[in-house]
Amino acid sequence: MRAIPTLKISISGVRGVIGESLTPGLLTRFAQAFGTYISSGTVVIGRDPRTSGEMVKQAVIAGILSSGSRVLDIGMCPVPNIQLVVRQRRAHGGIAITASHNPADWNALKFIGPGGLFLNSGQAGEMLDIYHQGEYTKVSGAEIRTVEEVAGATDLHIRAILDALGPLPKTSKRLRVVLDACNGAGSLVGPQLLESLGAEIISINVTPDGSFPRPAEPLAENLGDLCVAVKEHGADIGFAQDMDADRLAVVSEQGVPIGEDYTLVLAAIYVLGREPGPVVANLSTTSALADVAKKFDCPIFLTKIGEVNVTEEMQKQNAVIGGEGNGGVIYPRINFARDSLVGMALILHLLARQSQSVTELLNDFPHYYMVKEKLICPSDKLTVVSKMLREAYAGYPTDTRDGTKVTLPNGWFLVRGSNTEPVIRVVGEAKTEGEAREIVARVRGKVEACVH
Amino acid sequence: MKPLKIGITGVRGIVGETFTPELAVGFAQAFGTYLDGGRILICRDTRPSGPMIRSAVIAGLLSAGCDVVDLGVCPTPSMQLAVKWLEADGAIAITAGHNPWRWNALKFVRGDGLYLNSTQAEELLDIFHQGEFAKATWDTIKQVINYENPIGEHIKVLQGAFAVEAIRSRGLVVAVDCCNGACSMLSPLWLESLGCTVLAVNNDPTAAFPHQPEPRPETMAQLCAVVKAGHADVGFAHDADGERLGIVTELGEPFSEEMTLALASDIRLREQSGTVVTNISTTSAIERIAARYAGSVVRTRVGQAYISEGMIEHNGVLGGEGSGGITVPEVHLTHDSAAAIGLLLERLARTREPVSELVKQLPQLTIVKHNIAVEPNRLYSVLQDFRTAVEQERLVYDSLDGLKVTLPNGWIHVRASNTESMIRIIAEAEDAQDARHLLDWVRDRLSR
Repeated sequence: MRAIPTLKISISGVRGVIGESLTPGLLTRFAQAFGTYISSGTVVIGRDPRTSGEMVKQAVIAGILSSGSRVLDIGMCPVPNIQLVVRQRRAHGGIAITASHNPADWNALKFIGPGGLFLNSGQAGEMLDIYHQGEYTKVSGAEIRTVEEVAGATDLHIRAILDALGPLPKTSKRLRVVLDACNGAGSLVGPQLLESLGAEIISINVTPDGSFPRPAEPLAENLGDLCVAVKEHGADIGFAQDMDADRLAVVSEQGVPIGEDYTLVLAAIYVLGREPGPVVANLSTTSALADVAKKFDCPIFLTKIGEVNVTEEMQKQNAVIGGEGNGGVIYPRINFARDSLVGMALILHLLARQSQSVTELLNDFPHYYMVKEKLICPSDKLTVVSKMLREAYAGYPTDTRDGTKVTLPNGWFLVRGSNTEPVIRVVGEAKTEGEAREIVARVRGKVEACVH
Repeated sequence: MKPLKIGITGVRGIVGETFTPELAVGFAQAFGTYLDGGRILICRDTRPSGPMIRSAVIAGLLSAGCDVVDLGVCPTPSMQLAVKWLEADGAIAITAGHNPWRWNALKFVRGDGLYLNSTQAEELLDIFHQGEFAKATWDTIKQVINYENPIGEHIKVLQGAFAVEAIRSRGLVVAVDCCNGACSMLSPLWLESLGCTVLAVNNDPTAAFPHQPEPRPETMAQLCAVVKAGHADVGFAHDADGERLGIVTELGEPFSEEMTLALASDIRLREQSGTVVTNISTTSAIERIAARYAGSVVRTRVGQAYISEGMIEHNGVLGGEGSGGITVPEVHLTHDSAAAIGLLLERLARTREPVSELVKQLPQLTIVKHNIAVEPNRLYSVLQDFRTAVEQERLVYDSLDGLKVTLPNGWIHVRASNTESMIRIIAEAEDAQDARHLLDWVRDRLSR
């Protein structure tokens, strides 16, 4: 049996462990492949605060320059910021140097196309073909272009949000917000944005020095300090980001995490209430979002997991809001990307206008309970698992566009492999915790039996 | 086959062809591994591919656990001095010296500021070929810092080695052609600090090389014109990274880069007799000059690392090569064109004689050089065939480096270049015609 590799090359990009699989030679070749893929042009590069970020960035710059493209280095910033700059500067592409919520020893490259969207599977496949063939465009010294270091990219991001939404309406009491930026890229933008909006902020974990004050994934179990801080300060809301500030988690005024899915739910309540239109989410999103869409009489479309799948469907349907159940909020009017900064602004505007607390807002809609689990699973077992599930649940509505989603009388579950880690994820939802856990436990049992 | 040279001088090739970013990354990783992490300096010359190679080298070094100090654009000898006072464990110069602008190269320097010797260069190559490099983890990986002032520190060391006041009081007029290379950052400043009126051309580090960055009479036409028009006392021509020096007399006449060492030897040995270290392919004028002052000459293989080793082993008072590279031990044990300038200007300050007179006093020999481009995979077979031809004529030869044959009226030397895919032939005789005959003698015996 082979050990599970720590290098993941997929349509999400290339991800690996520093000091092990993610070596500078590999990174330079990938950058050359990307440079070759976009022909000569301008590539925007940004990074999160991981300690290996500089090494990775230099390897990438060498590859991009060698293929004849120009580099706009916008430094340390949120991933959505990079996507925004690619679009605003009409660049030919971008590379985000971040391993999102993976632990500190990982890093990764995520490839962005000319519109600011991540490469879709077709485009990523083409780029990978170039990588594997190993024949890259190599220009002579005279054709090598420059690296331009661009300062103030994060200010651009804040300005775009304020231009679109304006500051928070004046209320009798300023909204008090606690922000936990996980020492990630959000540290550089969040406090400033919230201040510009007119909120009162308490910040924790806003030192982007490469340290991880907590596991980066903004799941409920990692938000203990934030919850305590919200209660201690009597805040109206708490926000948590991951390392690259694309995903957003919310903690209510009671100091309780509302669940990753409900970030998008709150944002949708605000957006659909003012500009009704199509909503797009993925197969793993809570049914609560469909309830919100129904209340505002808006159509909802569900896609395969992955930001690029959601954004492509959003473009197709002219959606006004979309995102994923992992806390990713996409509001095309500002940025066609999962954007925690935009998410915070939308949700604060909602709170300010509704004069309802977070808990009250959510109580307007049916409650669901979602359970998410993951198990180690070698990638060669995935097909066996999906076959087993299709057979086991043959009588129920099943959607196999992405893993296996089965709708049950009292809820639903989804089983799928991960693009980013060698694991299999099991997600289940029902109206009560007990039912949700039962659904997941039963499915998990079947999967484990199959894998081992 | 496209040219890529890997050897004692490092790795060198054409960007856009063989000198790829992953090659530079791999060599940097190998070097970082060889030095067990530690602090590594980097610098570069003004080639347009410099920034691209610099990024690759930084990535390789950081990934191997090194902390990196970037000196930016500066001459290689400036970096070699900085190794010592920045307490670095080694350094990489990103420069292809005298090669044309398409080329770039990595030159590896160790903790004492000298190039790796041949054994060390082989050890480094073994690591590169094996491909198993040290890998820093996320919690041990270090960062890059930029260091601002290697030039200022270099000038301080230079000032400590020469009679600065004497030079200043002469108020010499000096023309200098920096070839828009790294010396643009150093040479005009150094000359100004010596109280010279400086007529600088091609001192824009952002502009392209105006001519081949190799100081030979063929590339010094513009400099000669400046010397004449400006009534300069002397003219100096630099390569791209500050190792080799070409000289133009006050009459506007360039002299062969071979004679740079001859002139330097005469200047040095008359003040301080001792051993001059040079290579076997340099003019025999050096022996004649040494004889005047009861000095001695040691001959090594071609390549700066050998000169440095010879200097240490034999306590050399001066070192250098027929390429125009000069080593002044009071400054450092490697070639430094700024040090050579100091030596020459010090002499001019102490004598009433102009440069043309100093040159007339040197033994007048004629050297002719000829390079033949050969496919990389045929270089050594061509040399082998020549050796066979020489042996068949029962001639005595020295095979320390290539083949050197002493003939009745002079000598010839044939070797493969360290830096390009070619055979270099040098012939020297008392007069030009004899020298050319010797060259023909060689070419007749070289198969193609």
